Amino acid sequence: MEQRAAREESPACACCGEPAVVYQLVTRRHLCGTHLVLDVEERVRATIQETGQISPGDRIAVGLSGGKDSTALLVILSRLLPAWPGASLVAITVDEGIAGYRADTMRAAERLTEWLGVEHRIVSFRELIGDDLDALLLGRETQACTICGILRKKALADAARAAGATAIATGHNLDDEAQSVLMNAFRGDLPRLVRTTGTGTSTAFLPRIKPLMAIPEKEIASYLFVQDLFSVLPECPYTKYALRAEVRTLLSDYECRHPGTMQHLIESKRTIEKYCAGTPVMEPLHRCRECGDPCSGDLCQVCRLRHSLLE
Amino acid sequence: MLPAFQSFHQTMKVILPDQGVRVMEQGQGTVGDLLHEIGINPLEVIVSRNGKLVPEQAAIGGNDEIRIIRIAHGG
Repeated sequence: MEQRAAREESPACACCGEPAVVYQLVTRRHLCGTHLVLDVEERVRATIQETGQISPGDRIAVGLSGGKDSTALLVILSRLLPAWPGASLVAITVDEGIAGYRADTMRAAERLTEWLGVEHRIVSFRELIGDDLDALLLGRETQACTICGILRKKALADAARAAGATAIATGHNLDDEAQSVLMNAFRGDLPRLVRTTGTGTSTAFLPRIKPLMAIPEKEIASYLFVQDLFSVLPECPYTKYALRAEVRTLLSDYECRHPGTMQHLIESKRTIEKYCAGTPVMEPLHRCRECGDPCSGDLCQVCRLRHSLLE
Repeated sequence: MLPAFQSFHQTMKVILPDQGVRVMEQGQGTVGDLLHEIGINPLEVIVSRNGKLVPEQAAIGGNDEIRIIRIAHGG
């Protein structure tokens, strides 16, 4: 919050001189709405190209919560996809069963897929594990994000396979990625820090791709706002229990005072990944003795969770 | 007959992320100044001036309506 810029009536776009809508902290450029949209879509295209995230003929399952990141992801992919002949999209929304929160985002997801003409599938925790998240969390609210994360990942993977997908795309942005690096470092969790389920890893999992990983969260929100696609949606009631919320505040404060911090964290992760390549950081993959899903131990996280919920 | 001096009373309306409204008189400065004054990190919000998105360096004041929208949600 110490970056105090000089007062300008309306800063001009670095590309065309029109009134700017956003200031890019790292490149120190102002952009108007039109050039922001072009810039974001080009950077996403470059990320996909450089990391080989999509190939011709792929069927990409997009995890669509209805929030801003997944909305932007689906809009951008539906525009970029013609570059990969034969590639197609299917949107998957997971209804966790969170009262007062999920209904609005579900409606937003339905409207968006209808507008874009993208196939939309909805799956729920109730189908997956027999109850809503609200009921599962009674007395264990502080574990909300861990439990929700495990079940959501499983629900999305199962639905993606059922839809014939070849990869799962999620709306993780630059801020999310940097926060994850810091959270794993705080936890001392090296395996999770270097673990990647992206292109080129184990065939036991569907590859997970993150086409927005180079785009700051603020630019994603701005990208949607200038196209009248930004909706103010309710906040998840369990956010207050999340370590991520604390890390987000800390990191955005650093990024504001030292632009580039988030990018440096991600580059550090890549360097560590390079040093760890070929070394046994992760435990070898097994199959869960109950459901057969790939996992690192005897039981997968979902089956372990199912047992603990029955206790 | 009109008075020789007419006073123009200008107030800037600021709509906060929680939908609370602040009316600020004689406010002149930038979006960044306003966010700093009310303790909001500019990376966690987007800001519109009279319905149009503006960067932190944009000037605000007069009868502007400023809306501050929180963008970071979820765990």
